[in-house]
Amino acid sequence: MGSLGACPLILCCVCRVHEVKEKNRSTLVILIGLSSGMLALSFASSALYRMFCEKTGHGGTTQVAKIRPNRIENRVITIRFNADTHTELPWDFKPLQKEIKVRAGEIGLAFYHGKNLSPSHTVGMATYNVTPHKVGIYFNKVDCFCFIEQHLEGGQETDFPVEFFIDPDIVKDPTLDDVDTITLSYTFFKLKKPGP
Amino acid sequence: MSYATTADYVHDDHHPTGWRRWVLSTNHKDIGTMYIIFGAFGAFFGATLSLLIRLQLAHPHGTILAGQEFQIYNVVLTAHGLLMIFFFIMPVLIGGFGNWFVPLMIGAPDMAFPRLNNISFWLLIPSLILLTLSIVVGSGAGTGWTFYPPLSSVGHPDAAVDFMLVSLHLAGASSILGAINFITTIINMRAPGMTMHKLPLFVWGILVTAFLLLLAVPVLAGAITMLLTDRGFGTSFFEPAGGGDPILFQHLFWFFGHPEVYIMIMPAFGIVSQVISTFARKAVFGYLGMVYAMVAIGMIGFVVWAHHMFTVGLDVNANAYFTAATLIIAVPTGIKVFSWIATMWGGSLIFETPMLYAIGFIILFVIGGVTGVTLANGGVDISLHDTYFVVAHFHYVLSMGALFGVFAGFYYWFPKMTGKMISKFMGNLQFWLTFIGVNMIFFPMHFLGLAGMPRRIPDYPEAYAGWNYISSLGSILTFSAGLFFAYIVFHAFKWGKKASANPWGTGASTLEWTVPSPAPFHTFETQPQVS
Repeated sequence: MGSLGACPLILCCVCRVHEVKEKNRSTLVILIGLSSGMLALSFASSALYRMFCEKTGHGGTTQVAKIRPNRIENRVITIRFNADTHTELPWDFKPLQKEIKVRAGEIGLAFYHGKNLSPSHTVGMATYNVTPHKVGIYFNKVDCFCFIEQHLEGGQETDFPVEFFIDPDIVKDPTLDDVDTITLSYTFFKLKKPGP
Repeated sequence: MSYATTADYVHDDHHPTGWRRWVLSTNHKDIGTMYIIFGAFGAFFGATLSLLIRLQLAHPHGTILAGQEFQIYNVVLTAHGLLMIFFFIMPVLIGGFGNWFVPLMIGAPDMAFPRLNNISFWLLIPSLILLTLSIVVGSGAGTGWTFYPPLSSVGHPDAAVDFMLVSLHLAGASSILGAINFITTIINMRAPGMTMHKLPLFVWGILVTAFLLLLAVPVLAGAITMLLTDRGFGTSFFEPAGGGDPILFQHLFWFFGHPEVYIMIMPAFGIVSQVISTFARKAVFGYLGMVYAMVAIGMIGFVVWAHHMFTVGLDVNANAYFTAATLIIAVPTGIKVFSWIATMWGGSLIFETPMLYAIGFIILFVIGGVTGVTLANGGVDISLHDTYFVVAHFHYVLSMGALFGVFAGFYYWFPKMTGKMISKFMGNLQFWLTFIGVNMIFFPMHFLGLAGMPRRIPDYPEAYAGWNYISSLGSILTFSAGLFFAYIVFHAFKWGKKASANPWGTGASTLEWTVPSPAPFHTFETQPQVS
């Protein structure tokens, strides 16, 4: 506009309209971008939410151990076991021991028992967490039946093992001083689309 | 586009007539008018459903909505919530008053994208039709307006919920397009001299609202889409059996849902500021504080969503954070309330109907705000969650906050929109009937909630009968006041006195009062110079 400073009033009016139109168009592009970005984020949230829970132990999400603990602390914690089954899955699923005591850093081994009450082959998958939620980040599973799908033929029964330890660093975290009991919980769901 | 390209075009009063004027409209005033009429229809629909709810709850063991093992009650409750939010408050406050007065107040000839504006409005019609279908198809959508899975997925196998979700998709698309239009208009099309820090507070309210819509509604769209694919295409975003998590839906929903409640109240903030300044005949006290309080409320509103989810099993630290963040919102809100009071302080007040509604807004909004601060505490909320105390809280801020904003704006701008004056006596009478009515409905709900009455239930023990009865009487009074309002509007059109360009006197200093009443079809084709 500056270079047209001397133009007649009407011309100025025309170029101002064009200038506004152009500005409107670029604002439109930015705003559509913002709103599409939020849409994309909302779809990504499913994966981001899972990553967040795994990284932080949020909601009592347990950790998968890559290395074994290098020391055992003299802090005894009672691990209690809980089992639930979704009504659509015709299984009888229960822990074989009510509780065990482990020291922090010590490998614990526990068993659950599952029986398919129906005459046909079914596939289940267990979800899991620990309470209190804040110990999720310190609860490590070395191996667990919950890592993979479980297949049971009609009437078949089997034992499901879970091998775990409590991170010995738990003794360094003062917010967990009050924890002497941890409940490990599983819920078996019927898998809608079993993998190959 | 109808920009003035030559000087003499300005004087050509291009004016389409008949059905073309409305269906193909690109005029911000006509589109605003259509939004207001549409919103009035939504309000009548939603209010009728709320009256049915209160009749069902007037006495223990009510049978009015007992059909299909009380699913009818659930359906009515769901439709009431969705209608009031998406088809009454939002169309009237944002689409109606926003379209009418944002261009007028900033001295722009129209909205930035007039055809987009037309689409925004007409998307709402199929949306409302789909919502109506969701009431009558199959067993109806009885999920509550929050439609949490699994109730909204495996819990509602027939197509009703699908209709509801697609309806919300369309309403959401309409809102996003409208928001883009408002932001572009306000940023680029202000009259020369109208700097951002001179914008009337109503325009600021709409601007903040538009940004909230732009960022929050896409998240709702994402959640709805995932829910639809979970329902129809075998995905399991929210289904634990397939590795999903229903709590994720609640996070997504409330990431939208909490800003949504500010979307409903922010334009009302703006209207109340204009009205109080007009009838106190003073400039708003602490203008910049008011502006940035709205901006702050809008921003903090995005990081407090899980205070709707204190009982889902978040850990203590998350609950503590969401409690603290929520309580912080009381600070900018307090700045607004005190600034309104300070605007009135020492002003020469005129108690016209819009002023009564604005003062009523402040009183009721503060009551709802105080119960909000109570509920913000995660520890307290665990015992009050899903009780009538919550129902009382959000109806005080929305049903009375946003509704009183609508009434204040309507009484305030009616002369400008129609060129007719509303009878002051009848308007003031309607205010008092409504004020007494809504308080009769909702104040007893605090007692019911504290006594442990859960929300969203169609029946209750005898112990709750007394206050429920009073509440139901209040809803009959409020509904009658609504019908009286319809008569007042009819009366004003038929016998109302002619309004001058500025019927409210020196306090009404914004640009819309400089054009004749009713505002002509084209205004500010030559933009005014603001000093």
